[in-house]
Amino acid sequence: MNFTLSWLREFVDFRGSAQGLARTLTMAGLEVESSRPLPSMQEGQEDWVMEVAVTPNRGDCLGILGVAREVAALTGGHLRLPPALPAARSSGIDRLVDVRILSPDLCPRYSARMVLGVRVAGAPDWMKRRLEACGIRSINNVVDVTNYVMLETGQPLHAFDADRLPTKRIVVRQAGEIQKLTTLDGVERALVPGDLLICDGAAPIALAGVMGGSDSEVQWDTHAVLLESAHFDPACIRRTAKRLAIHSEASHRFERGVDPQGTLYALGRAALLLAEVAGAAPVKGVVDRYSRRAKPAPIVLREKKVSALLGVELPRRRTEHILTALGMKVQGRSKTAVRVIPPSYRSDLTREEDLIEEIARLTGYENIPSRLPLVRPAGGGSNHRPARERKLRAFLLGEGLTEMINLPFTSAEMNRRFRGLWGDKRSPVAIVNPLGQDRTELRLSLIPGLLDNLRTNLAQKARSFHCFDFAKVFALDARGAAEEKQQVAGLLYGARERKGLRWKDETPPTFLEVKGIIEGIFEVLGIGPEPAWSNSGVGSFLHPAKAAVIRLENRDVGYLGEIQPDFCEAAELEPFQVFELDFEALAEYAPRQLTARPLPRFPAVARDLAVVVDDAFPAQRIVRWMKDLNHALVEGVEVFDQYRGSPIPEGKKSLAYTISYRAEDRTLTDSEVNQLHQQLAARVAELFGAQLRM
Amino acid sequence: MRESLDTLRNEFLARIVDGASEQEVQRLRVEFLGRKGKLTLMFHRLKEVPPEERPGLGEALNELRGFVEGKLELRLTELKRREKERLLQAERVDITLPGSRWERGRVHPLTLVMDEITDVFVAMGFELARGPDIEDDYHNFEALNMPPDHPARDMQDTFFVSAARVLRTHTSPVQIRVMETRKPPLQVIAPGAVYRHDDDATHSPMFHQVEGFMVDSQIAFSDLKGVLTHFLRRVFRPETGVRFRPSFFPFTEPSAEVDIQCFLCDGKGMVQGQQACRVCKGTGWLEILGAGMIDPEVFRFVGYDAERVSGFAFGMGVERIAMLKYGIEDIRLFFQNELRFLRQFA
Ligand SMILES: [Zn+2]
Repeated sequence: MNFTLSWLREFVDFRGSAQGLARTLTMAGLEVESSRPLPSMQEGQEDWVMEVAVTPNRGDCLGILGVAREVAALTGGHLRLPPALPAARSSGIDRLVDVRILSPDLCPRYSARMVLGVRVAGAPDWMKRRLEACGIRSINNVVDVTNYVMLETGQPLHAFDADRLPTKRIVVRQAGEIQKLTTLDGVERALVPGDLLICDGAAPIALAGVMGGSDSEVQWDTHAVLLESAHFDPACIRRTAKRLAIHSEASHRFERGVDPQGTLYALGRAALLLAEVAGAAPVKGVVDRYSRRAKPAPIVLREKKVSALLGVELPRRRTEHILTALGMKVQGRSKTAVRVIPPSYRSDLTREEDLIEEIARLTGYENIPSRLPLVRPAGGGSNHRPARERKLRAFLLGEGLTEMINLPFTSAEMNRRFRGLWGDKRSPVAIVNPLGQDRTELRLSLIPGLLDNLRTNLAQKARSFHCFDFAKVFALDARGAAEEKQQVAGLLYGARERKGLRWKDETPPTFLEVKGIIEGIFEVLGIGPEPAWSNSGVGSFLHPAKAAVIRLENRDVGYLGEIQPDFCEAAELEPFQVFELDFEALAEYAPRQLTARPLPRFPAVARDLAVVVDDAFPAQRIVRWMKDLNHALVEGVEVFDQYRGSPIPEGKKSLAYTISYRAEDRTLTDSEVNQLHQQLAARVAELFGAQLRM
Repeated sequence: MRESLDTLRNEFLARIVDGASEQEVQRLRVEFLGRKGKLTLMFHRLKEVPPEERPGLGEALNELRGFVEGKLELRLTELKRREKERLLQAERVDITLPGSRWERGRVHPLTLVMDEITDVFVAMGFELARGPDIEDDYHNFEALNMPPDHPARDMQDTFFVSAARVLRTHTSPVQIRVMETRKPPLQVIAPGAVYRHDDDATHSPMFHQVEGFMVDSQIAFSDLKGVLTHFLRRVFRPETGVRFRPSFFPFTEPSAEVDIQCFLCDGKGMVQGQQACRVCKGTGWLEILGAGMIDPEVFRFVGYDAERVSGFAFGMGVERIAMLKYGIEDIRLFFQNELRFLRQFA
């Protein structure tokens, strides 16, 4: 909300500069977001426009009066109300207008006055200048007066052209069967039964507390004006304003709570100003329907609660002084507590904690000491996950992959192509109110994001691009429940970059190099069971012969491989590799406790085994078989070479394994090892139809 | 004979000059010490000397031979040393060529900052917690004292995935989830992604927050001040000025906005005398955290007795802290993921 310094000074005395005031208000919770000098009409009369950010709980500060009350409480300055024309006791007005409230819960109070002989014209310059400084467009003197008084008091007023109200029987009611109303901005609004309306007889003339209707708007020929000053239920006003997307000065204030006791002063102030600037003659008397009288409930404030919550002992004298400065009435006292009644304009004060905040605020947060609490370790159990996440990141960084952070939104098209690890039984999560047509769903996989990153960087002339993303993916299960899991995905395009002199033959990573990264991840996370690598179930976006699904105990935990060549061709990309792993699943297999093995006491002996097998033979089968043997003297077996070409016949390949033999209790002799090795070699040849190469 | 000894010594010394090559040294050895060498011949001639002079002369001869051998040896060692030196010099590398190594991957600056933030709190004894990104209305709003039709909901434009489920607008629901399942004492830090229906140079539809809270039997506002002041001085500079000012959040009472002194203008609001500082827009302060004492309504929702426990909570935007720390002006840089940007961070 904006106000000008000179205007504020009409409500409260204070010494000091605009900067000083800005600081005082900011440190009391009314944040002054900007203050700028206002070009003055007269030399030497400096004025400032101050913009304050009023928090939603402080509806009372949406009027200068409220800000002035704060200044008075903070500085001790004298508060005063600008002059008004109080309504004389008279029933004069009752002959002209009748008001009935059919929904007293939604409209606890409705006050109105009538002025006659209005000459509608432009408002005087001083009024226009102030309105404009506060961001309100000048319309005409009548509407400007209602806005001027609203800025002063926080009480929204509405001016009806009384001659355009045929029945002059004002009815405040819910819309019910009334379906539409054209508001004064010319828009026809569709109503719902719960909307609160101001009606003239049966005809709606205003959307209560939100916007007036166009039919009863003040116009250049208006003579008689009915001024409305009412109090409406905040939630009701908010529902209507939000549904119709109308954010008016009035609804903004009603949503945040307006002083129910302030309706009559605002009317009197407006009557005075209308007489001044529009030549109006107020009709004697006022209509004031106040069926649900607001009675602020007393609040008990215990001294010990103040010190417990703030961490500082404040003398009783001080706290009571603060409360009374804020307009609270002390109703009673005991040795340890005080009971106060908050003022009608502070509907946000209902609880002891609210009063303690007021005490802290006026004491100044800077005057509350700072201390470090005793931290008592909770019994929540240590969480291993953050440490594992950091290990994973550190490993991938070391492998040359750079971390990406992507928004989780994607298109239905991308989700159809890249389903990640969800299988067939999950569907994507759709956004009800997406930011764009290409961002209508939450991602099923991290790959689309990485593809975007690849494109962005290739457009910037990157020669290669190796990256990973470690983030959540989302899906709905068959019952429509949302699921989310943490995944890690990588993309490796082009040769890994090097610093320094260029190497001659830089080549992009192969499938086996990416598989190496995945094995590294398993190693870093300390995953117990060995993964199985399978060609079946590979996604259609991957190369059918250069990709694998990774299984742990028959559960798909990830995949890797080259992107389908058609995709690359269409996108004008070189072939490249991707992988994606279900981190949540991997974490389940990660051990909590490692036990170190002692070093062996006797030396190992290594023997190589070379076999010629069919080209399609998976090398891992021989390793698997040998491990499953569980032979006490076979310590380990590894593939170390694969060879095709002369002298190996067409359709065949040669595989070379190294087997390490060791006994726990002695040094093995050559003949012992040779004998065992020959036995194993013979078994391999027999079982796998392999031909031994010597 | 004695005179010829001195002549021989002088001759040898004149020949074994510094520049002598290995060949010359070998030639000298033959010429002086060989079977027909000059010194060898002198030994032969000893027989011709009167017997009483022989011992003295013999001694002098031996001394001269030792001297010649020593000199020759010294020269050879020196020559070998020089040859080795020459060979090593031939292996000289150009030490000004660039170092050769693989390009490292880079951690995203937001991860960097998030880790830095959580580390400070973990060192103070806080534990880490997380919650779902897809939240229900209850945890995201209602249990945080934001009933339907509350104007505070306007502060957060929300993405909906269904009528009752949203992308969490803040990390505060983690507070509720932890308190629902655990009893105090609690000191928890919860980093994560949050979502708002907003997209421009200073707002991203996704950004990151770190939420923290502490609940125990005697936690006061002064503890909140102590913990957050310590935190801010660890993450920024140790002498950073910190100020707390009243604010409003539905789930805390009293509530505070926490500012740090602007590091560009040192809190003066002006740079170079006159110009308003562009980082703090002339205020001298930077808004960095929202905080407060947990509202008793929140305790009621999770079944805690507000008469027995109290606590504080705080939340901060990771992007904002990263932007201030590194002088980044456009939030979208974080999510464009250009190597040109990411490689600026260690
Ligand atoms: Zn600054």
